[in-house]
Amino acid sequence: MTHRDTTPSRGTDPDRTERELSEALAALAGGVRAAPDAYRTARGEWLRRERRRRLVLAVLIAVVFTLATLIGLWVLNQAPSDPGVIFSGLGASPIWPPC
Amino acid sequence: MEPLAPVVPDPAELEREAGLARLFEVHYSSMLRLAVLLGADDPENVVAEAYYQIYRKWRRLRDIEAAEAYLRSTVCNLTRMRIRHLQVARRHLENPPEETVVSAESAALLRDDQRVLIGALQQLPARQREALVLRHWLGLKESEIAAAMGISCGSVKTHTSRGLAALTQAMEARR
Repeated sequence: MTHRDTTPSRGTDPDRTERELSEALAALAGGVRAAPDAYRTARGEWLRRERRRRLVLAVLIAVVFTLATLIGLWVLNQAPSDPGVIFSGLGASPIWPPC
Repeated sequence: MEPLAPVVPDPAELEREAGLARLFEVHYSSMLRLAVLLGADDPENVVAEAYYQIYRKWRRLRDIEAAEAYLRSTVCNLTRMRIRHLQVARRHLENPPEETVVSAESAALLRDDQRVLIGALQQLPARQREALVLRHWLGLKESEIAAAMGISCGSVKTHTSRGLAALTQAMEARR
């Protein structure tokens, strides 16, 4: 003759693990308290970081603009200064209007 | 000489400030708890970073309702990145410090079996841990968990069941 255990199962089935996990997470979360000045601290930090980001961006744009201007001036300065490179102006002028 | 006119703040800026203050008031504590449960060693910084990201992307935010989901997803991603960074850093140290599972004051509130369970949870791969915390603490639906983690619903099921199996095994081994 076999006897069946009528007490509630104490096995570690997934349902039980799920229930225990929910309880453990709730207990752990319940012990977490936010600092009272968390908003002021966080706001100060993100305003500071935003100002810094904008400053870095402005400096980067200024550097790129300055470099582009300097390179452009240098290239223009390298062009030969002899007269008549593109148009000498010495040849016979075309007759205008054509006959 | 005329006095300088006071600087008039940008209305969009004022709206952003007010919106963020409201978001902070409503969701900060739950985001902080989420970061702790996911195993972040510096949950305040993780959550502050998540709020900074939403501050920067405020104009692109669809509506204020979407902000909570965005924050949750950002906290999950940042915590995962932080844990991965710490794991890599520990690998390069000669005498790595012991991993701190949860802060001592938080752990003090737990019973022994709960402490073991939380310890086992922290040993799981990050994705499994996230899926379990989002499911069993926040009580999110599979689709919401999938959106928060940026994966498919099928993957959520896989991570949840594998994580739960590992926890069950850990608890069985303890008894």
